Amino acid sequence: MNKRTNRIFSWSEVPTSSRMIIISSAIIFIFLTPILGEGYESSWSIADSGIESDLLTATADSDGIVWVFGEGGIILNSPDMQTWESSESPTTSDLWTSDSNDNIVVAAGSAGTVVLKSAESNTWTSYTTPTATDLLGVAITGEGVVVAVGENGAIWILENGNWLDRTFGLSIDFNDVDFEGERGLIAADEGRIFGSEDGGLNWEERNTPEGLTDSTIISIDYYLANRGYAITSEGQILKSTQEGLTTAVGYNWLLVEIESEDRNTTLQRQISSMEVLGTTKFIVAGPSGYVALSKDGGNIINPQLLPVPNDFSINDIAMRDAFQGVIIGEEGTILWTENAGEDLAVGFEIIDLSQFNEFVDFSKDNLWQGLKATVKIVGFGILLGFFIGVTLAMCKTAPTTLKQIIEGNLGRALYFFWVFIPVYSIGGKVLGNLSSGLFFALIITLISWLVSRKYDNRVIAEAFAENRQSSGYQIPEKYRINLIRTLGVSILVGLPFSEFAMRGGIVKFWQSISDFRSLDLTGIEYIFAPVGDPDAFFNFLLGIALIYLGILFITFKGQFKKHEFSYGFKLNPWGIRPLASIATLYTDFFRNTPLIVQFMFVHFGLQIGKHIQGAGTDLFTELYLLSGGADLFIEYGLYAADAPTIISKTHEFIFSDRAFLSAIFALGLNSGAYQCETIRGAIAAIPSGQMEAGRSIGLTYMGTMNQVVLPQAIRICIPPLGNEMVNLVLNSSLAMVIAYTELTRQGKLIIAITFQIFWTWGMVMVSYFVVTWTLALILRWLEDKTRIPGLGISGGA
Amino acid sequence: MSEVVLSIADLEKMYVGGVHAVRGVSFDVNQGESVAIIGSSGSGKSTVLRCINRLIEPTAGVVKLGGEQINTPYADVNDIRSRIGMVFQSFELFAHLRVLENITLGLRKVRGMSVEDANEIAHQVLGRVDMLDRIHAYPGNLSGGQMQRVAIARALAMKPEVILFDEPTSALDPELIGSVLQTIRGLADEGMTMVIVTHEINFARDVADRIIYMDEGLVVEEGPSSIIQNPKTERMQKFLSSINEEH
Ligand SMILES: Nc1ncnc2c1ncn2[C@@H]1O[C@H](COP(=O)(O)OP(=O)(O)OP(=O)(O)O)[C@@H](O)[C@H]1O
Ligand SMILES: [Mg+2]
Repeated sequence: MNKRTNRIFSWSEVPTSSRMIIISSAIIFIFLTPILGEGYESSWSIADSGIESDLLTATADSDGIVWVFGEGGIILNSPDMQTWESSESPTTSDLWTSDSNDNIVVAAGSAGTVVLKSAESNTWTSYTTPTATDLLGVAITGEGVVVAVGENGAIWILENGNWLDRTFGLSIDFNDVDFEGERGLIAADEGRIFGSEDGGLNWEERNTPEGLTDSTIISIDYYLANRGYAITSEGQILKSTQEGLTTAVGYNWLLVEIESEDRNTTLQRQISSMEVLGTTKFIVAGPSGYVALSKDGGNIINPQLLPVPNDFSINDIAMRDAFQGVIIGEEGTILWTENAGEDLAVGFEIIDLSQFNEFVDFSKDNLWQGLKATVKIVGFGILLGFFIGVTLAMCKTAPTTLKQIIEGNLGRALYFFWVFIPVYSIGGKVLGNLSSGLFFALIITLISWLVSRKYDNRVIAEAFAENRQSSGYQIPEKYRINLIRTLGVSILVGLPFSEFAMRGGIVKFWQSISDFRSLDLTGIEYIFAPVGDPDAFFNFLLGIALIYLGILFITFKGQFKKHEFSYGFKLNPWGIRPLASIATLYTDFFRNTPLIVQFMFVHFGLQIGKHIQGAGTDLFTELYLLSGGADLFIEYGLYAADAPTIISKTHEFIFSDRAFLSAIFALGLNSGAYQCETIRGAIAAIPSGQMEAGRSIGLTYMGTMNQVVLPQAIRICIPPLGNEMVNLVLNSSLAMVIAYTELTRQGKLIIAITFQIFWTWGMVMVSYFVVTWTLALILRWLEDKTRIPGLGISGGA
Repeated sequence: MSEVVLSIADLEKMYVGGVHAVRGVSFDVNQGESVAIIGSSGSGKSTVLRCINRLIEPTAGVVKLGGEQINTPYADVNDIRSRIGMVFQSFELFAHLRVLENITLGLRKVRGMSVEDANEIAHQVLGRVDMLDRIHAYPGNLSGGQMQRVAIARALAMKPEVILFDEPTSALDPELIGSVLQTIRGLADEGMTMVIVTHEINFARDVADRIIYMDEGLVVEEGPSSIIQNPKTERMQKFLSSINEEH
């Protein structure tokens, strides 16, 4: 007869763990699928240098010829960066620093060697400093004079073939030198920079930031006369700009703050060379195949792809102009670029946007991104809204009069006030500090809970086996009443325990009133007082509630009954329903304010996104640190080495976007208010006999709710909830007002680029329809799947 | 042998609207005894039953189960209810659960039993009410009589000290009543302690050890089942004759 009992697949028979896996893989599939259609390619190509020895330094002259120097005095040059020929070298010393100006090219290196090629000739001449110590930097001044610096503060000027010693007696190493006209800069150890205004004859120390004394400044560069950059081998970047009209570039140096999670001033990479391409554009390179480009003066530094192994050692970069240049490195490697080394985005062609197919091709990625963004907030929003909706609906339907709440939790409240708090504060006094008191109190709570649980279970089980009643321990009536009355006093006036001082209702109320007063409002303006001082408003409500409770407890006579007054009217102070009132306040508030304002209030006013992001980042940082080598992750099938990536991916997915978090909350909070009413209606539609039947077999109220009423109510309200969810999808378009890039905002962006208004909004509409329609189909399927024979009239005769 | 299981003294119930439904009812139920409560509509029979397992709170009076007062604010109401079975006029099976799950729900969630143990007990009690063949059906696919027998099994499964029946056959077609009454009769023979509110006078006479006749919130006559043959009070005579007219 009943064919339904033999289903091929039944969700309810899938074990919980497998369900979790299915659900989470679906989520991962939806949210973590890679972005299609985009890719990046290195813009560096390998050139054939024809040699195998290490190349150490490079420079480009004003004809655009690139000169490369290396081990054993090797000299290479190329007019086009691709074909290289070697020149006859006058030296066998290693050359590791070079410069050029007005077609004079110079290089320097070990044992005081300097090689020079003048503008007119094609041959190289070699010079050696009198002391023959290693030279670390070389530059040509505006007058065509060579200045070389090196170990132990050596400064040599080569003028007409003669060496002039300008060493001024500092014994730290000078690592680099650069000239712009007659102005020169020297990069030195201990984070120091020296400058000259007279072509290198006289030098003075310049201002560098404090705390750099452990850093070695290894490269320094002017960009024309209006910007200077320097780098340290630890990956810091220093910048100098002209200040007003008086101070020239190069006098004051500041550390650049590099954009990263913790606002670092270091790249946390070793870097060895730098080439400045513009006032705010430069390339840095380091030993382990690291090349990075900044276009904003160092705030954002983007590592670039290279067609060489990761451990490839880069020794220098030289640029012919802002776009063309070479990287040189070990074993004769030369890479060249015509795009300033910037990664090329592939798959972007020049397209004709007046053709519909090309327009679709162009905009589909944006739409897809927008769709994913929409589904993301909708998915989380629905979950949050449903959770809130069910909770509120239960608050509204529950028999939660004060009487019932207090009767049910009286034991717990009494325990808290007469056992927990005294143990906490006395234990804290005896043991010396409060946290051990708290620990002590928690331990006692745990033990008494375990004992009573064990006792209860045994008593109930034995009683059940022998078919007799169970009995429990009870505080005698007269003590109970006094305990409750004293509790009332402490709620009203506060707790005296000095460490656990708690302000009572009267104090809170009075405090909040005086807080409101100090806002200095007049008359009707007071309706804005909750905004003016939210804390005081909270205290105000809490104060009223505590005063009410306190008075009620103090006048407690052993029964939770109505008060009868002699005038013949009755008052039932125990009959108010606090949970229902709070829930009603919530739903009324959210249903009587516009969603778009809620979006803005949540995001810009409450800054929920920002707060959650902060908390989440803290949490994940902990996790990240923990996951270093934690066994926990291996146990769950994650390689410890993988764990940090997985954690940081998850973190990025959830917490990277504040607008995303705010949008979820705005949608969820709003939808919760509406879902609450729907679910409440469904709960009300379940015959009251079901609740009575559940309670008559001994289930608690919540037990019956969860096991009996809600499973039936949710089935009933799937269709209206479906409506609500479709609404939520449509409402999600308002998230664009907080700059969340969902479907509608993507539409606006596409229009901003393409100006195709009809096509864009049309396609956005179709995309929305696809989402909502799929949702509706899923819900219809769900409704069918969960239908119970005999429950409700649906699809019947 | 006559140990008192359930004892009610001076029970009163005033509903919120001011209806004084029960005005001081007292009676005891002994171990293994089945007591039938009869009376005209609105006489407060259901109210008495509901006060016993505290589905509603009595306004005054004392209800004792096994000698212990259960209508105090501090008694564990869930524990009490799990010790008192209740069978409703409208069955009130859990519509979204199959027959078996209807019966095991309380055992698992209230008694904390494992699924296997609960299923074993469920099979026993379903055997007692002769419902083993429809164990996987949903309540919506059962006949009224079958539903009521499952409801009885659900109450039995909790091993209650007493079962309360509130007009278990009133919602049934005449031809379905027999099987349910048969089941209750079986329980009486087994020595189950029961309080049965019913309009089936003949059934009450045959099965009950004692009859309580209520009118306007009061116990008017109480005695062995023979009082149905010769009622002492005028009111009960009237009531019985009006019922006989109906038949
Ligand atoms: N929840 C309620 N609120 C107010 N009055 C009620 C409520 N339930 C019952 N009453 C009233 O209390 C009186 C007794 O009702 P009760 O249901 O106990 O009668 P009964 O003897 O079970 O009748 P029946 O045989 O029709 O079931 C009736 O007058 C009824 O209207
Ligand atoms: Mg009734």
